[in-house]
Amino acid sequence: MLTLLPTLAAASFLVFLFIHLIPGDPAAILLGDAATPEAAAALSKELGLDEPLLKQYALWLGNVAQGDLGTSIFFQQPVLSVIGDGAETSILLAVMTMFWIIAFGVPVGVISAIRRGSWIDQISSGGAMLFASVPTFWLGLYLIHIFSVGLGWFPSSGFPSISDDGGLANLRYLLLPSLTLAAPNAALIIRLVRASMLDVSREDYVRTARAKGLHPARVAVRHVFRNALIAVAAAFGFTFAALVSEAVVTETVFSLPGIGRLVVQSILRRDYPVIQGVVLVVVVLYMAVNLLVDLAYASLDPRVSLN
Amino acid sequence: MKLFPKQKRNLLAFGAAIAMAGGAAADGTFRYATVGEPPSLDQHVVTSDLATTIAHHMFEGLYTFDSSNSPRPLLASGDSMSEDGKSITISLREGVLFHNGDEMTSTDVVASLRRWGEHGSRGGLLFANVDSVSASGDHEVTIQLSAPFGPWKNLLAFINGGPAIHPASVMEGSGKEPIAPQDYIGTGPYMFSEWVANRHVELVRFDGYVSPEGTPDGYAGQRSAEFDSLRFIPVPDVGTRVAGLKAGDYDYAESIPGDLYAELDADESVRTILNGSPIFGLVFMNSRHGPLMENFALRRAIQAALDKTAALHVAIGPEGLWRANGSFLPEGNVWYSENGTGQFSLGDPDSSRAIAEEAGYDGDPIKFMVSTNYPFHYDSAVVYTKQLAQAGFNIDLQVYDWATLIQKRAQPDQWDLFFTHHGFVPDPILISVMNDNYPGWWTTKEKADLKSRFTMSSDPAERQAIWSEIQGLIYEQVPTMKTGDVYTYNIASPALKGLGEATLIWPHFWNVSK
Amino acid sequence: MTLLGSIGSAVFGRWLATTGLIWLALVAISAVAAPLIAPFDPLEINPIERLSEPAPPYLFGTDHFGRDTFSRAVYGARMASIIGCGSVLVALFAGGLCGMLSAYFPQLGHVLMRVVDVLMAFPALLLALVLMTLLERSVINTVIVIGIVYAATTARILYGMTLKLKGEVFVDAAICTGAGHSSVLLRHIFPNLISPLLVQASFVFAFSQLQAAALDFLGLGLPPEVPSWGNMLAEERIYITRAPWLLIFPGALIILTVFSLNLVGDAIRDAIDPRFRGDIAGV
Repeated sequence: MLTLLPTLAAASFLVFLFIHLIPGDPAAILLGDAATPEAAAALSKELGLDEPLLKQYALWLGNVAQGDLGTSIFFQQPVLSVIGDGAETSILLAVMTMFWIIAFGVPVGVISAIRRGSWIDQISSGGAMLFASVPTFWLGLYLIHIFSVGLGWFPSSGFPSISDDGGLANLRYLLLPSLTLAAPNAALIIRLVRASMLDVSREDYVRTARAKGLHPARVAVRHVFRNALIAVAAAFGFTFAALVSEAVVTETVFSLPGIGRLVVQSILRRDYPVIQGVVLVVVVLYMAVNLLVDLAYASLDPRVSLN
Repeated sequence: MKLFPKQKRNLLAFGAAIAMAGGAAADGTFRYATVGEPPSLDQHVVTSDLATTIAHHMFEGLYTFDSSNSPRPLLASGDSMSEDGKSITISLREGVLFHNGDEMTSTDVVASLRRWGEHGSRGGLLFANVDSVSASGDHEVTIQLSAPFGPWKNLLAFINGGPAIHPASVMEGSGKEPIAPQDYIGTGPYMFSEWVANRHVELVRFDGYVSPEGTPDGYAGQRSAEFDSLRFIPVPDVGTRVAGLKAGDYDYAESIPGDLYAELDADESVRTILNGSPIFGLVFMNSRHGPLMENFALRRAIQAALDKTAALHVAIGPEGLWRANGSFLPEGNVWYSENGTGQFSLGDPDSSRAIAEEAGYDGDPIKFMVSTNYPFHYDSAVVYTKQLAQAGFNIDLQVYDWATLIQKRAQPDQWDLFFTHHGFVPDPILISVMNDNYPGWWTTKEKADLKSRFTMSSDPAERQAIWSEIQGLIYEQVPTMKTGDVYTYNIASPALKGLGEATLIWPHFWNVSK
Repeated sequence: MTLLGSIGSAVFGRWLATTGLIWLALVAISAVAAPLIAPFDPLEINPIERLSEPAPPYLFGTDHFGRDTFSRAVYGARMASIIGCGSVLVALFAGGLCGMLSAYFPQLGHVLMRVVDVLMAFPALLLALVLMTLLERSVINTVIVIGIVYAATTARILYGMTLKLKGEVFVDAAICTGAGHSSVLLRHIFPNLISPLLVQASFVFAFSQLQAAALDFLGLGLPPEVPSWGNMLAEERIYITRAPWLLIFPGALIILTVFSLNLVGDAIRDAIDPRFRGDIAGV
């Protein structure tokens, strides 16, 4: 875990450097088209954006060490609370996406492995691969067009908080987006489950179990279960990555108030504290999730050992 | 599943208390799909139209505009001017409450005007001519001018980048930096509730609102908050705004592309609402650096090459939504003038080439900056680039995001032309090219002379005549090229009652219900 | 020859993969011969013919500038090939070299793989977004950015594979007989990595198409005037009901191309050394 700290420091410095090298001044954007360059420069100074870069970074790092991610230039709210507002959407979207991936991916993967080479296997892996080849925004646009505008089954966009009017029923706003996000990732899980089932069936320990006189059905059920768990662990890792990557696009199409859209909008507006904060939080979570997934692998899969 | 507490105003408690006492009719939540998130709602410093669309429900100025774009009292009740035209006395309406429950007095007005004058985007225009602002009574303020200044009332009435009235306590210590959301205290029919980043800005009805009197006319007259709350929801993708309105997820959606007009207009589940005041594109020329600096003939050559109609056709679409109009203010407006507009859209590559040669143009690249954040900018620029190439110009089209463009345009050596657009303004003094410090930096002697005559005069007819001369000068010295009028439109749910056929400048939702 | 032979039989053994290969060949031909195939200049603006339905002479209709969608689609194949080949080149060359050398020279690897860790710590599109805003929108920058994003993954994969090979008897044997580093790397290790690299190449190519389209959609990819399938979708997406052909054709082209790449990559993967099969995730 300690080795992650230098990585984190390097990543945060890189981002800091990159985003400050991008031309553009948040003060000028804030004031709008009618403002003169002089007015923008004056505000920029008031916001402390004219300080040397290294000094700004040191200041930021010092605050971060005390748990303060700074204040958003645009929202004039603490970055932590801005990220917190987006976290609800992002976390719920991730959970629903993972649900679809596991609900579709694991059974299909298991069936494909059992019926290896059959038409079911071919259609399911071919179909999954086809879904993985569709640009997410294109899929999203058509889902909105068909299921919201055409049929009126689901809301088209936005996501009112589940603490708002409507409560848990507001989750229906996330149905189309989570399906859009799940489509490309389900293919990965199907392949993973299928491959690991086939691999494991050749492994020595299964043979040993059989030799010990364990009932084949029990062996099958057990190792199906174990592989399903591995897939769930992997799905967790994948979806998290997908969340921050593809979710940027999905959240834009469905206009969801999540972290992904927050970061795109913040880049466009040069809201430096928010970009830095989001990247920091995301990178930390990303590392934590990867670590958890590795640990889960190690405890579930006897072939993997952590050194 | 809120991880962190939202920024809720404790003022809500006050509003709720009044709501219970008043027992006004509940009419639900109004959902407005915006093009994005506003930069800040502080009207003094921010000039974003989106910010004003939201903010003019909660902040009010001393004056506002009626449907003919004439200033009418809002928080003011009347005014008088001294004979030398240098002392303006404005009386205030009594009993007007701020959202925090305090009564508005001259102290608040003076503090607000001073902060706007010093730090506000458009405050400098007026305050360059102001000696002092003082309270001459509990409900009376006096503005002392250094010289007569014609457009004072229009400037006080224009709320975008304008003098919204806040409590003196909020103004205290506020500078260039926009005031924070917890200090959004005004006198309007709706008051600030919360701003959840990325999700919405929410205003709720202010039950202590004291409305001006008179029949509603434009922004003037009686105002009544019919909804419990107004929610402004950022929906940056235009396809999603349209789909969301059709699917009933929003009541109102702004800034819809022209090409969808016919289809939406025919759709019974959608109501289209034209904006009554057009916006217009502007291509600025660099007067401080590069080949176009002071070379007015070369600028006229560029102007002559452009066929603005073709660009409007491509960029906007159906003909009802644009007008190839060279006058800076539209036909029917008091400021309409045809002076110089013969040069508006010649589309004549041959004469352009001849003028350019005579002006000494030798094929040097001309840097033309445009942003893709506004599709109509980009689409028009692509057409212009083609037309200029036909006239022999070597145009280097540089495509940036908006943030980069406004950074680069502040550096004179980075560009020769850039594309932007301008919202409708009720007084030409507010047009950006009139500002000497606006990028482009048009500061010729001829302009300075006309401009000082323009602001000194208080006689409407004389001011109109001078403006016509200024417009002629713009077509001669070409500090900027108008690209034509664009009538943007919004779409609304047919269930909304009380919406006008067209919006004035920014849509407003007092006196509107569903 | 045996390598090509086994890959060939793997691909041609499956009718879907064969179809995919034929489609990719068509894309390649369009890319090379775009000026010969396209009936119009893909950039030619014609306001009078804007938003025309698909009908001769505009096979795929026209967009809101009045540009011929078919011609733009043909040139789009060229852009897809440039983006794909470029990203593969950057990713495989930078990433492959980095991974191989890191595994072979552990001290160097200690440093290089930390750099890779830093890159891997960013979710792919987030890194691409920041880089694309920093650099200007251009074809070469898009290629570099997508290439860098996948170079990190490639480096990780190659690192693992080279480590495995380093432990093999034949490499030890080569070192014992006094072979130099370059000889061991080039003669003994690299040949074993060619087929996995090929699989990785096909997946990077496929991913790069989707990433480029996503960047175009967010307005941070290729310059808007460049006729790419992603730009065509991004620019015309409001016309989903007004002019559906503007979204259907480029969308279908992206899907078909990425699907074909995945099919072919998948087929080759099944033909490669089973030791490495699990290392390349792909789709």
